[in-house]
Amino acid sequence: MRSMLKTLFIIEKTNKKNIFACLIVALCIIGMVVYANSTELGNPIKEKSSESLPVKVAMNKFQIVDASEYGDGSDIYKNIVKQYYTYPKQGMALKTEQPELFIDTAIELTELRKQAFEMENYDLVAGNLPSKIENEMDSSYYKYLKEHSLELSFGSLSFYPFLAFLFSIVGSVWFVLIGIYSSNIMIDDFRHISIIKGYPIAFSKYVLAKCITSMGIVVIFIIELFICSLPLIYFKGLGQASYPVAVFNGGVMIYPIYKYIAVSIIYMIVLAIFAILLSVILNVLLKNVYLTIFVQVILVVLPILFPGLIELIPFNPFNYVNFPSVLNGESLNLAMPVALNSNAGLLYLCISIGLLMAIIKWVLSTGKLQKI
Amino acid sequence: MWAYFKWELSQFFTNKKNIAVYVILLFLAIYFVLKIAPSYEPIEKVDVAEMEARYTTRDDFIKSVEGKDNMHPSVAFALAIFPGWNEYDRARIDAIGDKDYLKYAEGTAGWYLYSDQLIVNSGDFFYNPLYYTYGNNYAHADGHYGYGYTASRFTGYVEGSSELSMELFEERTALQTLQRMLNDYLPIVLFISCIFLSVDIVLKDRRNPSLLKGFPIADWKKLLMKGIVAFIGSVLTFIPLCVGFIVIGLQNGFGDFSLPVPIYSYIEETFTNMPMSTFILKNVLFMAIWFLFFIGISLFLSIILKAEFANLFVSFLLIAAEWIYFERVMGAYSDIERYPTSYVQVGQVISGYRNFVYESPDLTYQYGLTIVGCCTLFLMILTLIVSKFKRFKLIA
Amino acid sequence: MIDLLELKKIGVRFGDKQVLKDISIKFQPGEIIGLVAPNGTGKSTLMNVIMNYLPPNQGQVILNHELQYSSKANEVKIHQDVSMMPDQSDLYNHVSGKNHLKIYQEMWNSDPKLIDETIVKLGMESYVKKKTGTYSLGMRQRLCFAMQIVSNTQVMLMDEVMNGLDPTHVELISQILLQKKAEGKTIIIASHLLENLEQYADRIFFMKNGELNLVDDVSPGFSDNKVTTVRVSNFSQELLIVFKKQFPELAVQILPNGKTLIDVKEQDTITLGAITQYLIAQRLNDFSFGKLTLNDLYSLEYQQS
Repeated sequence: MRSMLKTLFIIEKTNKKNIFACLIVALCIIGMVVYANSTELGNPIKEKSSESLPVKVAMNKFQIVDASEYGDGSDIYKNIVKQYYTYPKQGMALKTEQPELFIDTAIELTELRKQAFEMENYDLVAGNLPSKIENEMDSSYYKYLKEHSLELSFGSLSFYPFLAFLFSIVGSVWFVLIGIYSSNIMIDDFRHISIIKGYPIAFSKYVLAKCITSMGIVVIFIIELFICSLPLIYFKGLGQASYPVAVFNGGVMIYPIYKYIAVSIIYMIVLAIFAILLSVILNVLLKNVYLTIFVQVILVVLPILFPGLIELIPFNPFNYVNFPSVLNGESLNLAMPVALNSNAGLLYLCISIGLLMAIIKWVLSTGKLQKI
Repeated sequence: MWAYFKWELSQFFTNKKNIAVYVILLFLAIYFVLKIAPSYEPIEKVDVAEMEARYTTRDDFIKSVEGKDNMHPSVAFALAIFPGWNEYDRARIDAIGDKDYLKYAEGTAGWYLYSDQLIVNSGDFFYNPLYYTYGNNYAHADGHYGYGYTASRFTGYVEGSSELSMELFEERTALQTLQRMLNDYLPIVLFISCIFLSVDIVLKDRRNPSLLKGFPIADWKKLLMKGIVAFIGSVLTFIPLCVGFIVIGLQNGFGDFSLPVPIYSYIEETFTNMPMSTFILKNVLFMAIWFLFFIGISLFLSIILKAEFANLFVSFLLIAAEWIYFERVMGAYSDIERYPTSYVQVGQVISGYRNFVYESPDLTYQYGLTIVGCCTLFLMILTLIVSKFKRFKLIA
Repeated sequence: MIDLLELKKIGVRFGDKQVLKDISIKFQPGEIIGLVAPNGTGKSTLMNVIMNYLPPNQGQVILNHELQYSSKANEVKIHQDVSMMPDQSDLYNHVSGKNHLKIYQEMWNSDPKLIDETIVKLGMESYVKKKTGTYSLGMRQRLCFAMQIVSNTQVMLMDEVMNGLDPTHVELISQILLQKKAEGKTIIIASHLLENLEQYADRIFFMKNGELNLVDDVSPGFSDNKVTTVRVSNFSQELLIVFKKQFPELAVQILPNGKTLIDVKEQDTITLGAITQYLIAQRLNDFSFGKLTLNDLYSLEYQQS
């Protein structure tokens, strides 16, 4: 095993593909840092200013009547009017930099919205307001800030919040990226078959060694995520690692940023292993790089195209491939809402990895390696 | 040469990957027909209940305040404009009741023009609420565009000779669906197919070099043949998509080639109609140039870098480039019209929607054609020159 | 004598075609075996069966009296002792020759000193550190051979080892093969390069109709060092008839390649002298006395139509 790893290291260290992949990843992250830095990403003043317009439109869907407590307007109308009037308060809190006031009005707003969901005729304005889960996450986020009397940051993203943002972006395409990266993991070997075939090592061990080598590069990618974000410390400061992030994990929860990042990394590693093993099997079966990519993409896209499948087969690991959206509770916004639990997702992925390994160990053998 | 062409062509269509591309396109077409097309809900739909509700609300208002003295200026304003507005709505409701589609088209065109004039600079009135989705900062502008578009479209129906129907009004016929898709992701889907089809056209030969090295034909001729084959293959991607087109046509009617397609002119801020046939032809031409461009990229990079993934990466980067730098209204302060990548949304360039979102008058069809065409030509010439160098062998 | 590798009733069929027919054979340590046959007669198939790349329809491969390809674990154990020379087209173009050798040394866990020794012996010092993408055919072929030598397994299978090599390197490789034989290795060489095979092979087999035929059985006395044959070029049909009349007791064979063989086994010196005189008298100056060459046998075996 050790000698196999050494061998693969000799081969992979001079492989142009790896060098290019590392470079591209680094460039993308630096691009993102520059983007975040120049567009003031995460600046609440910029982001909140546009939120009030849809509410105003929602208000216009109703006949203008007396919106006071005992007026003759419908409940939902009164609620929307109240919502509309919290925005100026928020705006003022932002402009005068009063975080406590901002948090208070934000909580007030989420409470109003929470009530609105239960009211008659909510469907009328649903498109103009955030979804239930979005609201719930906002609510726990602000409540957490208030309870722990954390300072709300008025500037744009600093290092730690940026990392959380970065992991959520990279995470959503991670599986496909690793799938593409590893799509020729075995095909490449078919070109060197007479060298490899006679190695005195079992095929499953050989595959294991290949996966470990590929995982080495995956780890390099993840390390790159951290290293290439470092310049942001200089521009925007470090930020707080314990700042809250609202996530959905069966129910709405608050993770500190470091936990969010940790969960992301665990997910990314598990997904990478899953993608690599899947590539191995598809490579051996299909013997074509592109078909491997196509099949992987189709498997990822199917639950998106047919959301009914998610409810039907909740244990399908591909439901969890876009883990940032699972953590955002986005599956709850579907026509048929499904609560995808991110911990359960990890479990399903791990089981799938076990299955793939079993397939490789018991079904595939060196005899399957044919020159193409 | 002819033999080589036939050889490449047979290679192309027996390639597992290429067959997979066609199958996936077929699947997408079927998915579109079964899932996406039926759930299409146009914002500007024919909704009698909505018109009635609007009409009665305004009518009640007029009746309640009419004849009163000392009106608030805004009430007076409303009183001045509501009767005209209601007239249009009445005409539309009646026309639908009588199934007089021509009259409906007339009333609708008038209604949208009238509404747009009232709303565009007003803080009191709004466009259709569906434009004001959560997080859309440009909803008002979008509404303005949508109303102008619809007004122009219905004017076209009145002036044209097409057979009118509900499907037509809601842009559900096959040709109109095609037109909508051309303004949507269809060009991107076709470009991605083209990239996948042409990505290995040169480098596949490296798998059996000794077999192919010796063909008595010059490298540049081989490249030319490969380019032609890839182009033919890319053009044929329309066949699987046709299935979707035909099924929609059978369900909702095909529409006809003289249907009006509203084209936005940024300078005049107005819409003019273009016949469907012209619109589709222009799209086909532009997309053909793009196909050649992407094939050129594949051929060129194949010789220089000799890595299929490099072809994929660069091609996808070119498609995604606009998405990376895109920001609404950025055309006002930057030269986006000079980048060929600003023209990947072919249908939107032709219909003027890109001018509208960029707020730039320069992003025109002709200019785009020139820029992308020049780039393609440049690539082709560069490829030919490079293929003459001994250093860059076609088959390593 | 202990036999290292044994094939027992190996049979391989591709559809209707019986490629290997009940092959049973034993290989001893310190032996070089030559497998000679034209393309497509099953040489590579036999090697693939020995490596278990191709499981036979029947029969077993047995190493050291006990190991068989009965499980994946056993396959690994056998591969530890049996190796096959890699194909030169399979080399990693972006990896240097020396690293290729290192890979094989690591994989079979052999003596690291072998790497440098082999490089020197094969005269590869000047290019071994360059990437193999830059190598010529002969350089790649030598590298592949070196890789197998470095792996240093008990049994080495070599398919067309001398392909694309110039005479100097053929000689170099022959020397190394003899040395490995002296170390007690079993080397099985499939080849159609016949000349040099006789120099170092202990046993040579012809493959025909899915069977292995020992050359000595095909032509008894092949391995003995005696004059057995007179080879004559351009022996015309008319002269041959006259010759046959004059020496009716001699067996004469005409090879498809134009050579005429006169069997002079068990003939005395007087007869040999008479033959010489006759040939010179007929102005057939291009003749030689000697033993049957592998080439002649090959021609007899495979080119007779």
